[in-house]
Amino acid sequence: MDPVKKTAKELKAERRALQERQRAEKAARAAGNAAVPAKKPASGSGASTTVGSTSATSTTATPLSETAGSTKTTDSKQRHSLTKEINSKQVDMFSHLEITKGANTGLAPKEIHPAILVLGLQFSEFKICGANARCIAALTAFQKVIQDYKTPEGMGNAIRHLKWEISTIDIEMSDDEAKKLLCEKIDNFIRDSITVADRVIVEYGLQKIQDGDVILTYARSSVVQQLLLEAHTKGIKFKVIIIDSRPRLEGKKLLNCLVNAGINCTYAFLHAVGFAMRDVSKVFLGAHAFMSNGALYSRVGTAMVAMMAKEKNIPVIICCETYKFTDKVQLDSFVMNEQGNPNDIVNISTTLAPKPGLLSEWLNKPDLKLLNLLYDLTPSKYITTVITEVGMIPCTSVPVILREYKPMVQ
Amino acid sequence: MTGPRDLNAQIESLVNRLRRRQVVGSWCVSIETAMLLRQVVSATRWNQVETLIKVVKEDVGRRLVMAQPRELAVGNIVCRVLRLIREKIRTFSFYGGSGTGTNTQSSMINLLGDGSPMGAKRASPLIISELQEMINELENTYVNIIDQAMEHIHSNEIIMTVGKSRTVEMFLKTAAKKRKFSVLVAETFPTYLGHEMALSLSEAGIDTTVISDSAIFAVMSRVNKVIMGTHAVLANGGLISVSGAQMVATAAKHHSKPVVVCTGLYKLSPLYPYDEDSFNDLVAPDPVFSFNEGDLIDKVTLLNPYYDYVSPELVSLFITNTGGHPPSYLYRLINENYDPDDTDI
Repeated sequence: MDPVKKTAKELKAERRALQERQRAEKAARAAGNAAVPAKKPASGSGASTTVGSTSATSTTATPLSETAGSTKTTDSKQRHSLTKEINSKQVDMFSHLEITKGANTGLAPKEIHPAILVLGLQFSEFKICGANARCIAALTAFQKVIQDYKTPEGMGNAIRHLKWEISTIDIEMSDDEAKKLLCEKIDNFIRDSITVADRVIVEYGLQKIQDGDVILTYARSSVVQQLLLEAHTKGIKFKVIIIDSRPRLEGKKLLNCLVNAGINCTYAFLHAVGFAMRDVSKVFLGAHAFMSNGALYSRVGTAMVAMMAKEKNIPVIICCETYKFTDKVQLDSFVMNEQGNPNDIVNISTTLAPKPGLLSEWLNKPDLKLLNLLYDLTPSKYITTVITEVGMIPCTSVPVILREYKPMVQ
Repeated sequence: MTGPRDLNAQIESLVNRLRRRQVVGSWCVSIETAMLLRQVVSATRWNQVETLIKVVKEDVGRRLVMAQPRELAVGNIVCRVLRLIREKIRTFSFYGGSGTGTNTQSSMINLLGDGSPMGAKRASPLIISELQEMINELENTYVNIIDQAMEHIHSNEIIMTVGKSRTVEMFLKTAAKKRKFSVLVAETFPTYLGHEMALSLSEAGIDTTVISDSAIFAVMSRVNKVIMGTHAVLANGGLISVSGAQMVATAAKHHSKPVVVCTGLYKLSPLYPYDEDSFNDLVAPDPVFSFNEGDLIDKVTLLNPYYDYVSPELVSLFITNTGGHPPSYLYRLINENYDPDDTDI
């Protein structure tokens, strides 16, 4: 998308507005308000180490979700009444998590860079799935924002404040240099923490796959996909069982990819996991985040697969880059989670064409609610080992890695 | 085949209807089978009890079981009828016979072999009245089960259920008349029975939430108990239930939540699951991965099991029309209702 040329005045107003929002954000955070929609816990925690644009992320995210509720046009009026209805159908257990209403870029304030708008849209429609993909997309969008940025005159203090948010850069540095430096830092982060890390994880993971293995995986993890493709290239003879679930159906993409590479695949849904589990020798799963108490925060249904594997004493191996490790501790899937669009449950087709089922009138039925959770927490006792780019560790060593390696990651 | 022509016709009709799946659902199948067997017993002319047993077991029973082999309720009813017959003859011979008091098969046959037509004539109405009692019990199954609803469901409970079971539906609706609780229904893809169940429960005024199967573990910590129905109960207390039930039961065990199974006794089968797969069916994978998704179909194996085997360690309680029983008690019920000679139907 072409960057829009702005006048100095507009940029000034833009920077001021951004600043105000960041200050409000900081005040809200300081007041202990943890109700900011935590859209990307994984990328948030990772990005904060180098680029530190978590605040920028959340501030651009909040206007999108706020303005979705405003009533400027008839279309948004409809959407508003619909979101009101959906909100009144909140499941009590999850009332502390708001349901994502979907982005409406027509109502976004003009100060937002189009790249961020596009990003927000893509996220809300799940066009970009998976922690790594979302992180890379967010960082690339920030790169664009930084490249298009022009310092307005006479706002040294504000600029200093802004730059401090991103990283500690020398104020004497020229704009071009600073931009280059920031973009370079982002590139390095992507390279080190994601691309190269994935390659190292694949190297470690290859040691765990032998001839004759039957490997089970759930939904679609980019690292696990790379690992399986690499193992196949190396000539190891193994079979893959892909377990998928509604409503996201991410496993289909993985299935396409693996079958095209020539791997012997079986595809089943979550209800068949007990049946499919009897021949399995290893389970490989991906992660969205890893908590400090050793619990895995990943796509909803992962906990179920890990538990069933543990029941049958099958090892559960998680492939996770260290940027996904976080200081947070979480005991269950309620405290922090995300609710998706409940209408996804109504659609009962497994192909792209939506087919409404019996529940299409659910909004009219007073006692009926739909719950579409996106993430869940797998307790550490179901996880055998975690493969990271710093080695294979037990899941209880996550806080150790954070302590030792965090300075290096920055 | 000893019996008048229209009895033949009736048997043929039921066999065909079973085969064509025009009679589905364990309860309907059980009642139809029981009524047909009552006709058979009353219409068959028998002098020795052996004849009657052969007719019921091999001529009629085996054909019915073959018509819908996965519907274990058919075999259960046939076994029960055979047991009833033998029991009646045993007590009849004990009280009305030569008075030696032996309960062995041989003595019973001998007794009736001697004074034959008399014995048969007198025993027959007793057997038929027993059969009628059994049919009444079957028809009142639901009433007896839902009477226990109040004892097991309390206010402000969150109950999880899987799939669609008529028994559980009536159970919950009865409790909802006096208690306020909420229900989480797992949608059980690909049959989407959970959707039907949720619609029906919400129409009765119960606060219902539909969750996708993947969220079952996530929400299990808030659930108070799991109540589900089953397709069949096996001799060791294991369940043949809708696909996905094993997941729910295992998740409940990990969170230490009780799993309650509401079922009529007609679903209790004397068969033992030596092999988990022998009772399972893999049905068409179209709902999993449909044809219009391209030529990927040829290169991929698709799994779509219809049933799930739930092991008895995962079940806490069976609520049946004769009351609540733990899985460890089922062997007594099997001893009382079935004969070991009949399991090879």
